[in-house]
Amino acid sequence: MEELILELKKKIIEALNLEEMTPEQIDADSPLFGEEGLGLDSIDTLELIVLMEKSYGIKLSSPSEGKVIFKNIRTIAEYVSANRTK
Amino acid sequence: MTVYRIADNVLSPLGATTAENYQSLKEGRSALKHYASFSGRKEDDYVASRFTDEQLRQLMTEGLTWFESLVYHSVKEALKGCSIDVTSHRTLFVLSTTKANISHLSSEAYAKLFPAESAKRIARHFGIITEPIVVCNACISGVSAIVTAKRLIESGIYDTAIVVGCDVVSHFVVSGFQSLKALSPEPCRPFDIDRMGLNLGEAAATLVLGRGAASNERNGDWQIVSGAIRNDAYHISSPSPRGEGCAESIRYATDGIDMSSISAVNVHGTATLYNDQMESKAIEAVGLSAVPAYTLKGYFGHTLGASGILETIMTMYALDHGALPATLGFSETGVSGCVNITSQPFEMSNLKGTVKSFVKVISGFGGCNAAIYCRNERKERNESNKRNECDGEVYSVDHRVRITPHGIDIDGNPLYMESSGSKLLTEVYTRFIAPYPKYYKMDRLSQLGFVATELLLLQENPRRKQCADRAVVLFNHSSSQWVDHEYAKSIVVGEDYFPSPSLFVYTLPNIVCGEIAIRNGYRTETSFYILGCKDEAMMNDILRATLNDYTLQGAVTGWIDYQDDDAFEADIKLIRRNIK
Repeated sequence: MEELILELKKKIIEALNLEEMTPEQIDADSPLFGEEGLGLDSIDTLELIVLMEKSYGIKLSSPSEGKVIFKNIRTIAEYVSANRTK
Repeated sequence: MTVYRIADNVLSPLGATTAENYQSLKEGRSALKHYASFSGRKEDDYVASRFTDEQLRQLMTEGLTWFESLVYHSVKEALKGCSIDVTSHRTLFVLSTTKANISHLSSEAYAKLFPAESAKRIARHFGIITEPIVVCNACISGVSAIVTAKRLIESGIYDTAIVVGCDVVSHFVVSGFQSLKALSPEPCRPFDIDRMGLNLGEAAATLVLGRGAASNERNGDWQIVSGAIRNDAYHISSPSPRGEGCAESIRYATDGIDMSSISAVNVHGTATLYNDQMESKAIEAVGLSAVPAYTLKGYFGHTLGASGILETIMTMYALDHGALPATLGFSETGVSGCVNITSQPFEMSNLKGTVKSFVKVISGFGGCNAAIYCRNERKERNESNKRNECDGEVYSVDHRVRITPHGIDIDGNPLYMESSGSKLLTEVYTRFIAPYPKYYKMDRLSQLGFVATELLLLQENPRRKQCADRAVVLFNHSSSQWVDHEYAKSIVVGEDYFPSPSLFVYTLPNIVCGEIAIRNGYRTETSFYILGCKDEAMMNDILRATLNDYTLQGAVTGWIDYQDDDAFEADIKLIRRNIK
């Protein structure tokens, strides 16, 4: 799981253009969205949905489904682990 | 001095004339149909309003692309309804479009198909000699174009303006909206509790405008009384939930008008969750809740660059003929703001003897909103006495920043930079702006405009933020060319088909205006124009005309063009209105 978490951090930094961040700076349990998070927005949610399909073959149907899964890196890792087809 | 409609045309799958289109609406006919996807994947099948193969065959014109053929035919039809001198140097041609010939992006001849080149080719077909203006302000382009043309006529430079809007349904645009999950898999349901998104549509619409009652010919007395463009300064693709920008544009357009005297409101009503909700809040906030409101998206789909013009024309026609069409797709309200939308047509027989008038409301990506107020009345208006007057120059330039791959200068003084080329931008960001993580999400055009504007505003002491009187008016030639190519790479049909929403949102050049508005809290006009070249005189005319909006005291304005990493230019000024 720790490997997947690191991999996700790197992929998310790239997909969301978080140029000024390193994986070490992202805490796996910290919220990604909202004021305390990385300040991600609705377009970032959509890009994460693309990332899910592109890298792991998981098709999410809507941004509202994503809201629950994309809470933090760990919840994403757990979801990917359970549902990946790639 | 008053600006009137002289002639018009709507060209859509529902008809080749305004009258034919209105007849279709009366019969409750929608052009929305199901289409197989461009990607080959079933889940990408979509609903849209598109011309049939037969209509395509009839309209396709030698030497013109499909997009240009639609523009050409609409203008041609509109001109039949008037006898203006198209060859006069006082006749303006304005084209409103979001993506023009984008389906030819990969063609070697694409440079000849840029929006301004396209506009010029069509204009010359008619013998129009003046330089065209392309308005590229996302979905509000049509209303922006009407407002721009009106201002330029009022400024005395032109007597008439042919304002035409058009966009076609393309793989590029459909895939983009799909990546944003903005499309409904069924015909759209504006303002409805079960609405799931918008449908796209293709159409062309032309409004010929002229000054003074003398120019008024057979089409009645529809005046474009007032209009405004306002940015939410909230987000580049989502509207502000309270709809402040939308409300402000309506307030300006209807200043001094008794809301209960307005006959109708044509709302944007795209049927996305956020747009309709936002619009309902704005409508309620400005006091238009009781006025019959309707949207045409259920018949025509969202026609992007055409929509502001098409929907204005249809509303004029509807009011002239006694009934507003039903809002197709609406059944049960699903918005919290109070709007008088129904699923039935509004019979307007009680309008006899009163002056007919309406508000057209519209919103678009980049956080922009616009509204115009039109009245059917033959009555000359005096110049607004709220307009600040001055002798000589309308404005002064306070500061100026220029950026090219070779370097930067501020107010004529070179700024020492370690890097060159596109790396200049990031160097400026790192040295003068950071932290602002959004910077890295921007496309190159937005980064260029953002960085140039930051350097410009750093010269202002103290730097003004959260102001409602400073417009952002930008120009270029190559539109959003750089990111268009980047986005296109993500939609190559095959295994690697992953349309990128974060790239697609930037495929509208006016987004750079939105980024600047958000950064600085400029809840004011943001406009983007595409020209054939860096035409200082034309830019000056448009800027001075923009200052007809009496709330404006200044602007960030100039040229922002990014073709590729070796060819880009920013030439931005901070200007201030001169007051007598």
